[in-house]
Amino acid sequence: MLEGTGVTKKFGGLVAVSNFDFSVEQGQIVGLIGPNGSGKTTLFNVITGFYPADGGRIVFKGREITRDKPYQIAKLGIARTFQIVRPLLSLSVLDNVAIAVLYGRENMSSMAKGRMRALEILKFVGLESKKNILAHQLVAAERKRLELARALAIKPEFLLLDETFSGLSDMEIQEAIKLIYRIRDDLGITIFLIEHVMKAVMGTCEKIMVIHYGVKLAEGKPEEVSKNPSVIQAYLGKRHA
Amino acid sequence: MQLLMLVVIVFLFAFPFIRPPLFFLTLLFSVFMYVGLTESWNLMGGYTGYVSLGHVTFFAIGAYTTALFLNRFGISPFATAILGGVFAAMVAALVGYPVLRLKGAYFTISTLLLAVVMQLIFMNWEFVGSSTGLWFKLLPVTMETNRLIFYEVMLALATLITLLVRWVEKSKLGAGLIAIREDEDVAKTIGINAPWLKVQAFILGAFFAGIVGGVYGYYMSYIHPDITFNINTSLLILLMAFFGGCKTWAGPLLGAVILSLANQLIVTFIGAEISRILYGLLLIIVIIFMPNGVIEYIKVPQILRKERTP
Repeated sequence: MLEGTGVTKKFGGLVAVSNFDFSVEQGQIVGLIGPNGSGKTTLFNVITGFYPADGGRIVFKGREITRDKPYQIAKLGIARTFQIVRPLLSLSVLDNVAIAVLYGRENMSSMAKGRMRALEILKFVGLESKKNILAHQLVAAERKRLELARALAIKPEFLLLDETFSGLSDMEIQEAIKLIYRIRDDLGITIFLIEHVMKAVMGTCEKIMVIHYGVKLAEGKPEEVSKNPSVIQAYLGKRHA
Repeated sequence: MQLLMLVVIVFLFAFPFIRPPLFFLTLLFSVFMYVGLTESWNLMGGYTGYVSLGHVTFFAIGAYTTALFLNRFGISPFATAILGGVFAAMVAALVGYPVLRLKGAYFTISTLLLAVVMQLIFMNWEFVGSSTGLWFKLLPVTMETNRLIFYEVMLALATLITLLVRWVEKSKLGAGLIAIREDEDVAKTIGINAPWLKVQAFILGAFFAGIVGGVYGYYMSYIHPDITFNINTSLLILLMAFFGGCKTWAGPLLGAVILSLANQLIVTFIGAEISRILYGLLLIIVIIFMPNGVIEYIKVPQILRKERTP
């Protein structure tokens, strides 16, 4: 469904993502892991059009999107969340989602209808009781849900999640994992996620890619990847490999 | 609330017919003018968060367009004020795309430069009267009728602009602009074509400012680059919007009314020098203690919030 070949992104002399190949099939939950600064978020920014790629090709459902702008990519059905959540702080929780409904793929023009649809989405992520409070009053776990709700509001077919589990308690992670399964199973949305919380990745993803210094180290089922010596070396150092 | 507003508007329209001293009509004319300018500025400055100092340019272009069409083609200024708006909008479209790529202080500085450069161009452009300025042919009526007509026209214009801006605020366009103000990157990820929306708001604001400028020019009957392109007008607009609170349509309205009245009254009864000092102090106090403007301390926001609930 989403496929990248030879994707490269440079910042001056630093090659943040180097000749990276990836593919995510429809209905999969795929994880992208790697140490800090390995290029995970950079790759997401290239996919969503925030950084222009310096090389390679990205194809979504048979259509090349390498040179598309972020809003065009959103309109094609790729939604994303940000690593550090970015709610529209001075707006209500409901309006945060409603604006995304209006400008997303449903392309509504009435704010009232947008809010009605937004309310359904808030129910789906379990935030409907907070609909009228301002986004800056939410606690961290709620902000993460809002971030998800806003991404879902554009009616995507593909969802890029940037460290959705970080900063959550074990309980909250369990709930978030359930929510992610529901997003895939009930809404039929394919998921590509970056994660640091190993437990969460191993339990959730069908396929994992490991990126290190912008290069793909390994790819495969979670249990294969976790046994891969070069992956262990990248995370824990040479002695443990 | 809406009933109260209606009563106030009807009263204002009827006000000249109780034959008040002309001073009041002159005073209120300038209040209405600043309401129109501040509301139109707010599309960009308030909702979108792009603080422009170039608004006076669009105002002045409106005034000049109107004067030129009257003097060269003899078309009534009240009709060509609209054309003034169109010309202002065209200039906004031309400068909008490049200038709106800049953010924060860089955007503000480049709009300041726009205002300064346009003033210099008009100062040296023979066709528009350069530094001698332009005269309007006067309306063939008495002073009283003249003031009455301009009062009513500017009041109608200010009302219309305020209502339209209010409508935009609650529309899809307004929602998109507010999303851009809150976080432009997030706005893009939810499918908002940010550059296009910003240009739309910029053009719309310029259009309204141009019409206001057209009527103002005819009212003054003489325009000169030093008066029409005066950067102080831009600053006043900005102060009024921030004073009132620029996140809602009601804030700039309130700010424009209070500050232009206060300014005029202080100038008339105390003195122009004191007025600047008081004005500045007032602004400092508001920015420090009421960063969201005085509107926050009035009941209006709660009413707005109620309307937001589906």
